[in-house]
Amino acid sequence: MQTQRILSIKSPLGPPVEILKHVFAAKSNKPRISFVAGLHGDELEGLYICHKLLRYLKELEISNPEAIQGEINVYPAVNPQALENATRLWPFFSLDINRTFGSGQADSLANETSQTLLQDLKSSSDIVVDFHSSNLQLMELPQIRIIKDFEKKLLPLAKKCNVDLIWIHPNAEIFASTLGFNLNNDKIPTLVIETGICLRIHPNSGDQIFNGVLNLLHHTGTLNITPDPVKEPKLVQPEQVKMVQAHHSGLFIKQVEAGKILEEGERLGKLIDPVEGSVLKEIVSPCSGLLFTIREHPLAHKGSPLARIAEVLDNK
Amino acid sequence: MKEKILTLPTPYGDNLELYKNTWGKSGEPLSIVSGLQGDHLNGLFLNSHLTQFLDSIVEGLDPNYTLTGQVQTFPVVNVNAVQSGSRLWPFDGMDMDLAFPGNPEGESAEAIASTLLHHTKDSFWGIILTSAPPHYEDAPHIQIHKPDSRVKKMCRDLQMETARRQKESSTQKVNLFHHWQEQEISSVMVSAGSPRTINLQQCEILFQGILNFLKAEGILKDHRNKNSENKSKTRIYQPNEEILVKTSTAGMFLKEVKVGSYLKRGQKIGEVRDIYNGKRLEELTASEDGLLITLRQYPIVYEKEPIALILSAKDTWQKMGHAIKSLVKS
Repeated sequence: MQTQRILSIKSPLGPPVEILKHVFAAKSNKPRISFVAGLHGDELEGLYICHKLLRYLKELEISNPEAIQGEINVYPAVNPQALENATRLWPFFSLDINRTFGSGQADSLANETSQTLLQDLKSSSDIVVDFHSSNLQLMELPQIRIIKDFEKKLLPLAKKCNVDLIWIHPNAEIFASTLGFNLNNDKIPTLVIETGICLRIHPNSGDQIFNGVLNLLHHTGTLNITPDPVKEPKLVQPEQVKMVQAHHSGLFIKQVEAGKILEEGERLGKLIDPVEGSVLKEIVSPCSGLLFTIREHPLAHKGSPLARIAEVLDNK
Repeated sequence: MKEKILTLPTPYGDNLELYKNTWGKSGEPLSIVSGLQGDHLNGLFLNSHLTQFLDSIVEGLDPNYTLTGQVQTFPVVNVNAVQSGSRLWPFDGMDMDLAFPGNPEGESAEAIASTLLHHTKDSFWGIILTSAPPHYEDAPHIQIHKPDSRVKKMCRDLQMETARRQKESSTQKVNLFHHWQEQEISSVMVSAGSPRTINLQQCEILFQGILNFLKAEGILKDHRNKNSENKSKTRIYQPNEEILVKTSTAGMFLKEVKVGSYLKRGQKIGEVRDIYNGKRLEELTASEDGLLITLRQYPIVYEKEPIALILSAKDTWQKMGHAIKSLVKS
């Protein structure tokens, strides 16, 4: 393993802010695959998966180096200051670095950083996997979200990753500034894996995705190994996703966990009024299907998402 | 007239309320928006000052003016951020100006964005009042997308000498400014000052500019036969006329110039000192003659950070001349 500093910025108090890349090199024409974690500094599930991957590859380098047949790059912590502060945003600028890609400008330190990361990934990757967790509010089952325009290229790769579901969704203008969109737009297939919730690590989900990562590396020919079998993900089209939102503001008390197969009308939780002591609404599932998102943060404003369900359609 | 245009209940009982003020009924309105970011206080002050002024006219307390057109202001858009004393609402950490076009059924930011867009959709003109990004100060200036004749006239009528044409950005399609452009609302952003501060001098410059605009566009009639003034000519700077001065060290930046001043090539802007031993690490100077439009205010700086943005004093013909000379030489 070689470690490279793709960016080093002197800090006012001495120690530099650095983005590191660990490279497991192999001279071959097999695909070069890169893994990115920590774009949002409070999303730690990807750091856990990268930790497992680094350990595995280091051991493999010693025990069976011939198994590494393509280049693997691991960027385990790409937003160091946000990670040190456990905040989604780069704290010095209150800025979401995953909304700064694609501008092509270096008129701020944040833009310079995102440009450097983007260029480095473009120059050293044939496929990229970008790990994310959810925000403070929602718990997500391991999933890959694919913008419809990129479905053809990404779906075969996504199916190898041992996630519970693959959600195909329409493009939205806000994606234009994200790392995943810009790499895909530049013809570098990039999977955005989302799992869990921020500020927490769920080892079971992490281990599941780690197995998927090994399976992906095996199927692309980058690693010559025999991976554990992976699950068949549920493929979800936009019309199958039913979002349950709060119609009142209050505290959401959840009564189910992500991953449950729900019946129509089954109780998800309740919205309560913490001041008056009343129950505002019993929240039930609008359809039968897989509960893949559930609100963890009780504080819910009107319009807040409470749950997402992948509906079972008769003809699916 | 102050009108509540959105009420969102909060979990603990109080309502989040979005307001607009309207004066006049005839003609297509001018919309003025401030408080998209919770710490851009110059805009909040300016809108409150404007409210006081327009109230006094419609209440007949100011005999010098008659309102002949329609004005609507939206003084505080990111209500939660203003109330929490921060740029963004800490609960969602979302930049309100990345929430457009919004969604009436969505979360708070989306519902606010959707409401604001709905209430401004019939505007003929739009002005967004803003300040510099965090840690910086802007000299009063206009920011524009497309310098068509209507926008050029807006710049002149606002009596501001400086306008910057914005660079293309990957987030612009979710900005209010972009959606106004899409709806063919003649719109500009007016920036001045630093976040978290009110600069009365800068606000007065902007207020006089807006007053002139109201008169020039026939929204306001001045009975003293004082027509709108059109003394100043606005220079529109293109993105390639912007010069960034960046640090190559990190430490404490001490500035020696004021934003809005004209700098000579080689003029000292400030220096970076080592925080621990006070030694000078570097001197930062202007690389070209020009107008210092943005200057670093917060002294703690990292390496590679812009500390100044200069708008080049060279005109396009001069630049072409230099380019031709260098071509001939080579």
